[in-house]
Amino acid sequence: MEPIILLEDVSFSYEGASGRALDGVRLSITPGEFVGVIGPAGAGKTTLAHALSGVTPHVRRGDFYGAARVAGLDTVSSSVAELSKTVGCVFQDIESQFVTTMVEDEILFALENFSVPRDEIPSRVDRALNDLDIADLRLRSISTLSGGQKQKVALAAALALAPSVLVLDEATGELDPASSVQVFELLTQLQRERGATIIVIEQKIMLLCAYAERLLVMDQGRVVIDGSVRRALEQPDRLLALGVNCPRVTTLAARLREKGLYHGAPPVSLDEAEAMVREALA
Amino acid sequence: MILLENVSYAIESRELISGASLRIGQGEFAALAGENGAGKSTLLKLIMGLIKPTRGDILIQGASTRDRKVSALARTVGYLFQNPDRQLFGATIRQELSFGLDFLGVSKSDAESRVEETLGWLKLDPDRAPLSLSRGERQRVALASLFVRRPSLLLLDEPTTGLDYRECMQMMNTVARLNREDGVTVLMITHDMEIALDFAPRMLTLSGGRIIADGSTRELMRDEAMLKRASLIPAQMVALARRLGLAPGEADDADSLAEWVASSVKGGAQRAGHT
Ligand SMILES: Nc1ncnc2c1ncn2[C@@H]1O[C@H](COP(=O)(O)OP(=O)(O)OP(=O)(O)O)[C@@H](O)[C@H]1O
Ligand SMILES: Nc1ncnc2c1ncn2[C@@H]1O[C@H](COP(=O)(O)OP(=O)(O)OP(=O)(O)O)[C@@H](O)[C@H]1O
Ligand SMILES: [Mg+2]
Ligand SMILES: [Mg+2]
Repeated sequence: MEPIILLEDVSFSYEGASGRALDGVRLSITPGEFVGVIGPAGAGKTTLAHALSGVTPHVRRGDFYGAARVAGLDTVSSSVAELSKTVGCVFQDIESQFVTTMVEDEILFALENFSVPRDEIPSRVDRALNDLDIADLRLRSISTLSGGQKQKVALAAALALAPSVLVLDEATGELDPASSVQVFELLTQLQRERGATIIVIEQKIMLLCAYAERLLVMDQGRVVIDGSVRRALEQPDRLLALGVNCPRVTTLAARLREKGLYHGAPPVSLDEAEAMVREALA
Repeated sequence: MILLENVSYAIESRELISGASLRIGQGEFAALAGENGAGKSTLLKLIMGLIKPTRGDILIQGASTRDRKVSALARTVGYLFQNPDRQLFGATIRQELSFGLDFLGVSKSDAESRVEETLGWLKLDPDRAPLSLSRGERQRVALASLFVRRPSLLLLDEPTTGLDYRECMQMMNTVARLNREDGVTVLMITHDMEIALDFAPRMLTLSGGRIIADGSTRELMRDEAMLKRASLIPAQMVALARRLGLAPGEADDADSLAEWVASSVKGGAQRAGHT
């Protein structure tokens, strides 16, 4: 299948910065993939997200090398507005992302701006608010919301558009655990029902393990691991050296293996871990 | 150190905190958890005196937050906002750290050595502008600017968001060391139950503006019904231990669970050998 995202040797350095925030990134993502991205602070994850949305190099300026194509558009020659028709983003710095002052307006604005048919708009606003469980905040002023509530509004606005590529940059960082799971469920739904391509930058490794099919680990502007989540978890020491931890269930598997009590693949969920222990005890 | 007596806080007619009472002693390390919008940040702001209770009273080191100016409190209390950008003002990281130390009465040479020590921990170029840093880097600078002030109470609002695992551990270990060695009292908001279990012996759960649980983190981690009310998910190893029928506290980390499995297997083999 034609890749929906294709980065060919993309490098980027911020204006005035000495090093490269992206350093020769090659990446091919096919439509409908659910990709997790993790890596230490300063690895270039946000810069990668910006490169996909055109924020880099159009808004965040600097030297851009290589070529990036997203949904058939060259990110350097296309405008951010053009790109945003197919690429939805929720960025880490949420405060700077809101364009209106009231919760409902924020979602309405997104839908109206992307020429969603008028008669569909009210039901999509309702659905987005209900999906994120924030219907009671509908008429609230965004500035009075709690941190997590703000993140939910930004997520609701992005999900309401049902874009064919959705990039989340640590967009669940302030969500409570149940809401984080809910967001990953919604992303999976978007992927399954609409064939959307999902890219989530996330430090919560347990959620990536449970939902992402492919994991990219970034370090110093490069993609240093690219493969299935399970394959990545087979090298816990390498991950740890990259500042990435494994879920506790994987650590437990490693301990049991050291004791000769387990020989299978690392578990990624509680159910799998329970099965692993029961097998060792049997 | 911190005493809340039946504290409520309302905006217009909405009550955001209802009848909260709690006592945190000098040198304690407590986690504060609860669903989005539960009122965690509001409670922390009340304790810091940034907002005043509608009813009830809050005493910090014996003095009511009603009578003390925030600036006076800031001498002994380090407060980390949920969004670190709210507290970054300096043009460079070095300035950010030095800011206000003279106001605290720290001598010039002492200030310099504190800043150098903290810079060593921070491992970032001291001449960079805080706002040009990545989110995780900004978070660490904001925390470092609290540490240089040597507070006796730390109020941290989600200090580990935006940090990668290594930074998160480094940061938490620093907080734990300040707590252990210098007796700094810590009250920390977190959604991460693994961190709460690893670092905070005590946990408070807030839901809908009310404190619904206050006790040992290990024990509360077993109360899945209570956690669920507050949109929390128990730490993985505790949940696994519960599923396996272990008693609370018997084994709730990967190492001790592995030990438990090993000794159960050995015991089972021995029993099998006897028959
Ligand atoms: N506006 C900027 N000017 C100069 N350098 C920048 C700028 N923004 C980011 N950088 C630098 O570029 C590198 C990559 O930053 P980026 O924000 O992409 O990292 P990240 O992986 O998203 O980190 P985090 O996990 O902390 O969000 C870092 O070294 C960072 O300090
Ligand atoms: N000015 C205001 N008017 C009305 N409601 C407000 C106002 N300020 C805050 N609130 C509400 O008070 C509640 C508690 O907010 P707070 O920021 O304390 O929550 P929190 O527990 O810290 O949540 P989070 O985990 O999302 O940070 C939220 O429902 C919030 O929307
Ligand atoms: Mg980032
Ligand atoms: Mg909060």
